[in-house]
Amino acid sequence: MKKHWKSLAERKNGSETPEKQNLPKGNLEQILDIFDNGNEKSQSNRRDFLKLCGYSLAISTVLASCENSVQKAIPYLIKPEEITPGKANYYASSYVNGSEYCSILIKTREGRPIKIEGNDLSSVTYGGTSARVQASILGLYDTSRYKNPLKGDTKISWNELDQSIIQQLNQLKESKERVVLLTPTIYSPSTKAVIEMFLKSYPNVKWVQYDNRSASALIKANEMCFGKAGICDYRFDFADVIVSFDADFLGNWLMPVEHIRQYTKKRKLSDGNTNMSRHIQFESRLSLTGSNADYRIPVKPSEQALLVAQLYNEILKLKGLESYSLNDTSEDIRELAKELWENKGKSLVVAGENDLSIQILINGINYELENYGTTLRIDKQILTKQAIDSDMEQLLTDLNSGKIKALFSYGVNPVYDYLKGEEFAKAIDKVPFSVSLDMAPSETSSRFKYVAPDNHFIESWNDLEPKTSRYSLMQPGIRPLFNTRQFQSTLLAWIGQETDYLKFIKNYWEEKLYPIQTAYPNFTGFWNNSLQQGIFEPKTKSVFDTKFKLDGIGELIDNIANAPKSSGFELQVYESSAMGDGKMANNPWIQELPDPVTKICWDNYLTVSPKQAEEMLLETGDVVELNSGIKLPVYILPGQAYNTAAVALGYGRTNCGVVGKNVGVNVSKLSQFKNDSRVDSSIGVEITKTEEKYELAMTQTHHSMEGRAIVREASLREYLKDPAAGNESHQEYENAGIYKKPNFPNHHWGLVVDLNSCVGCGACSIACQAENNVPVVGKKEVIRAHEMSWIRIDRYFSGSEFNPDVSFQPVMCQHCDNAPCENVCPVAATTHSSEGLNQMIYNRCIGTRYCGNNCPYKVRRFNWFDFTKADSIPNNLHDVAEMTIDLKRMVLNPDVTVRAKGVIEKCSMCVQRIQEGKLNAKIDGRRPRDGEIKTACQQACPAGAIIFGDLNDKDSQVVKETSGKRNYYLLEEIHTLPSVSYLTKIRNKETNNS
Amino acid sequence: MSRPYGFFYALIILFLLFSPPALLAIEADSTHVAENDNHHFNYFLNSEKRGERLFKGLTRIKTDVTSCVSCHNIEYIDTLNWNPSALDIAGTFADKSIAEFKSVLMSPLGKKMEASHVGYTYSDEELGYIKSYLIQLKEDTLHEAKPKVNNLIVFFFLGALITMALIDLFFTKKIKYKFIPILIFVLAFGYQINMLADGAMALGRKQNYQPAQPIKFSHKIHATGNKIDCRYCHTTADESKSAGIPHVNLCMNCHVIVREGPNSGKFEINKIIKAIENNTSVEWVRIHQLPDHVFFSHAQHANVGKRECQECHGPVEEMDVIKQVEDLSMGWCLDCHDKTAVDFQSNGYYSNGFKKLHEDLAAGVIDSVRVTDIGGRECARCHY
Repeated sequence: MKKHWKSLAERKNGSETPEKQNLPKGNLEQILDIFDNGNEKSQSNRRDFLKLCGYSLAISTVLASCENSVQKAIPYLIKPEEITPGKANYYASSYVNGSEYCSILIKTREGRPIKIEGNDLSSVTYGGTSARVQASILGLYDTSRYKNPLKGDTKISWNELDQSIIQQLNQLKESKERVVLLTPTIYSPSTKAVIEMFLKSYPNVKWVQYDNRSASALIKANEMCFGKAGICDYRFDFADVIVSFDADFLGNWLMPVEHIRQYTKKRKLSDGNTNMSRHIQFESRLSLTGSNADYRIPVKPSEQALLVAQLYNEILKLKGLESYSLNDTSEDIRELAKELWENKGKSLVVAGENDLSIQILINGINYELENYGTTLRIDKQILTKQAIDSDMEQLLTDLNSGKIKALFSYGVNPVYDYLKGEEFAKAIDKVPFSVSLDMAPSETSSRFKYVAPDNHFIESWNDLEPKTSRYSLMQPGIRPLFNTRQFQSTLLAWIGQETDYLKFIKNYWEEKLYPIQTAYPNFTGFWNNSLQQGIFEPKTKSVFDTKFKLDGIGELIDNIANAPKSSGFELQVYESSAMGDGKMANNPWIQELPDPVTKICWDNYLTVSPKQAEEMLLETGDVVELNSGIKLPVYILPGQAYNTAAVALGYGRTNCGVVGKNVGVNVSKLSQFKNDSRVDSSIGVEITKTEEKYELAMTQTHHSMEGRAIVREASLREYLKDPAAGNESHQEYENAGIYKKPNFPNHHWGLVVDLNSCVGCGACSIACQAENNVPVVGKKEVIRAHEMSWIRIDRYFSGSEFNPDVSFQPVMCQHCDNAPCENVCPVAATTHSSEGLNQMIYNRCIGTRYCGNNCPYKVRRFNWFDFTKADSIPNNLHDVAEMTIDLKRMVLNPDVTVRAKGVIEKCSMCVQRIQEGKLNAKIDGRRPRDGEIKTACQQACPAGAIIFGDLNDKDSQVVKETSGKRNYYLLEEIHTLPSVSYLTKIRNKETNNS
Repeated sequence: MSRPYGFFYALIILFLLFSPPALLAIEADSTHVAENDNHHFNYFLNSEKRGERLFKGLTRIKTDVTSCVSCHNIEYIDTLNWNPSALDIAGTFADKSIAEFKSVLMSPLGKKMEASHVGYTYSDEELGYIKSYLIQLKEDTLHEAKPKVNNLIVFFFLGALITMALIDLFFTKKIKYKFIPILIFVLAFGYQINMLADGAMALGRKQNYQPAQPIKFSHKIHATGNKIDCRYCHTTADESKSAGIPHVNLCMNCHVIVREGPNSGKFEINKIIKAIENNTSVEWVRIHQLPDHVFFSHAQHANVGKRECQECHGPVEEMDVIKQVEDLSMGWCLDCHDKTAVDFQSNGYYSNGFKKLHEDLAAGVIDSVRVTDIGGRECARCHY
């Protein structure tokens, strides 16, 4: 078996945690510390504790004679037809955040949106979601949002605002001054139509699109190679071999939800499928995608261009075409070329770097491999990113020159995320008239003279076309909470049109989309159906002759080959898969979601390679200074290429509400503008160690693998020989314990997690947090290992620390049939149900934490403080993220108890959903159907890695999966008989003994 | 740590010393203060006072007319009075003109009012006095006082008794027979414990709770008199967790025609119409309420389990004022789960599962399947 290790300290010392000077305090000492305000000198002892007990008895006596408060029951005056109190309604809609898109269902209770689920009718996202999609529901209740139209800092009415802006626009129009409308990529057909009408009314307005993480080079390369600008539609599920040069397609590249789904679909080994794709990743930092790759080759960012050129050249050679003279082509590249050539038409090569020459060569490779038309196609496109980097550069120049007299900005934050943010800020200040149409204050919008606040997407109507002819509707789940108006209505108002944007969309659809389809004889039927499903996906046939035609490839290759080799230190900035571009920095759920690979939350940090750390005597937590003046804490990341470092964007917001403000450091300025596009890596960076130390909040170091077979894995070859490969230690004993195994007369609920599908993205964690009212604890408490997540994703490294294999394993309560927690509870607050659930009863729990101590999986969480305001004693409140204010409490799920201080909580396998599913079946007089009940984590998972079902139902999918040879239980040697099982991870490698 | 303990002691002693007069003062008649010398001077100039006398029938006007107060009670009473209380009237007419007030009062439209208000001849001036009295009444009594028995007095009296018994037992030794203070101690302490236990168990429970509601809605008239089915108003009992408090518009299904009730006349029904017209909500006082950590489903019990509403809610159809009959405690729930047999044959969910239990039933090992047998006592059925 492979030796797995979890942190570098563990690998070096054999034990995981470094010794600490201060011994941890005992239980009682910690409690008494609270009363002594942490004053270490004051001595608390047993007598004080007894006195406290006496007080509590006296207080309870007084409370016992109190009266109940009078509760009111207020019915609707006129009940909306569709609302049934106590039952949830689901509205098909779409999630949009810049270039992120997801087709969703908004779950509302009594008219209040409380949860987002994936829409499985969509053939773009297939019912999957991402962590940010799940967390966006909390953004609706964000207190930092604009609540009124503003002029400077003063509230004004919409009428006043409209009047002064229309007046200004007309003046500017008459004097023919230049005006700019700055937006992110608009891929909504109706919004585009609105903007075009706006541009027509004010011909002096120029529309500029800006994507902070643009795919500018990709778009241009396609234009140059095929005469059609845009981003290809990739099909990772059709590819047998995937080669990625630094494209984090499972993390943040183009459409992670869709690509995770495609990628894992191809790699599932259930239903007798043995044709798994092979994934080879070239990258410098250990990304989410890289950690899922079968082979990962750490390279410096500057080396990529040459490798791509060599690969192209080798493929040309294999094809027997005229090749170029390139030296030093390594054996690996030759092998890779051979493998790709053997799989031509079934392979896919992608690159993430925003570099034109790399993207052109990648197009060349895919073309020569005859992949166009199978694994990617240019006639169907991803439309979520269309901005060209040079437009923004031009805008900055124009702003600086003072040519632009007015600036309208919507949904972008260039002051924060543009690489010349500071310059942009100064340029905005120079513009005489500026209007922001943002939803929430940002570094950019706070500099504008007027604010015309936009709605949250859950309050808005819209239509979208994220991919060619894949239409999607956005419908609101609630009326606007504040005095806001959606962007499109505002533009319509300013051109003197009716502001009813819904009507506008309907007209647009009737005119443009209704004629495409043939299923509905009238528009109302078509519209209602599209709205109900949230999507409209007409079948269109396009004829496009994909012909690669480009002169000057030779020149391009020469340039790459002759470029001077950099030997120095290289730095790359990236979007972390949890935080993304920082638009959601004020979302505490996202802040507290640990990065899948480093397991750090509430911060960004500089990742360096272990070798580098050894040379520079760096330790995790040391602060280093870059030569650009930015100070960052260091995290030693196994797998980081030597002489490179990486740091995440999206942190260091300075104007975004209290949660995300000044968390981490803004590193946007570390990107560069080269060859007409933004480049994320830079050469010639120097780092110097400082004396400072910084504490990073990690959720990783608390759980060690201790040499046990927790993640079981094998190579595909081994698996094909023996499906039980890697799972040799699996053995099932019936009654080996002293307690009799319970029997389950009706249902026996179980979960199975396919480790081969799980990519570690963390959508399940946030879905669970939203569904089960899991509190936010803040950075300090995470450092004290008090995080509350019910489902965590453990990450294990194995093999060499310079290029380790990575395994992800979601761990939730295992619902053991022989549960160690149940028999140590002194008050029977955790018991077993006849349906196989390990029940946790908060109102019975007295907080001894014996169960948590006795749980071998460490999935039980203790409420050290009152995180939720469920406690009646105000001093206990611990709320770092405003989660207990009334507005944010709107997001709470009314079907799950909000826990108070001093009780244990844990995964309930979404018992509220089980109960609901059973009840629905009973009302219909039938058994629950397999797949009808879904846990929150399962619903959210874009990879379909989690399957819930009835283990007593022999036809269910969960039984099908668990009866396979890959099935095993976590720590099965201690005979806890879990109801949750795992399927071994299979890597498409020759051997699995790295 | 010892200081607050002493402080607490001091608090108890202080409370014992001063509580009897303080409690007495609360119960004292409020008019007692009004007859103070300072107020006496203004007595005849005060229109509110004149109104009060008129309302209470203290000023003689006409012998055959009953006073207002004999029908429209001023204070909270725990027996049902169908006539609107003085507060109710104040709430309705506070912002209306004297002429309107007069027209309603002197030329009544409803049958009930016609009978009682016959022959009223108040002048505008007098009506003004009455109205200003009512307005004052409304301002003074923002919160309805509720009768309550204060357990604390008994509790602390017993505490004092125990203290005295103990002091005598160990120090003063005035009582000859030692068993007397011991007996006093044991009885008093026992009673205290009993009180504590009762109090603690009743915490959060509201058996027999029967508060005054904002509208004098009678289930008896609707369910028994007019034979309206429970589900006609509580529409979601079969499909949702909540049975649903009828929305006001639903009342209007009938009350758009039925504008006058047999007991309350027009006054109570007018409140619904007013709510609809003014777009204001009706704030009922909630009676049946389970703690937040209990998830009870009406659909499970009323629809799947085919329970009658009365099994939990009592004979609602006989109540003029709704009242909580059961204590809705967990023990009460479980008692029913233990006793109640599940209809195991007609619902497909039960008939197509539970193989073992069906075999036992067929073999006659068990005569029926109770809710408990299929997990009705398990925690996570109701707590999650």
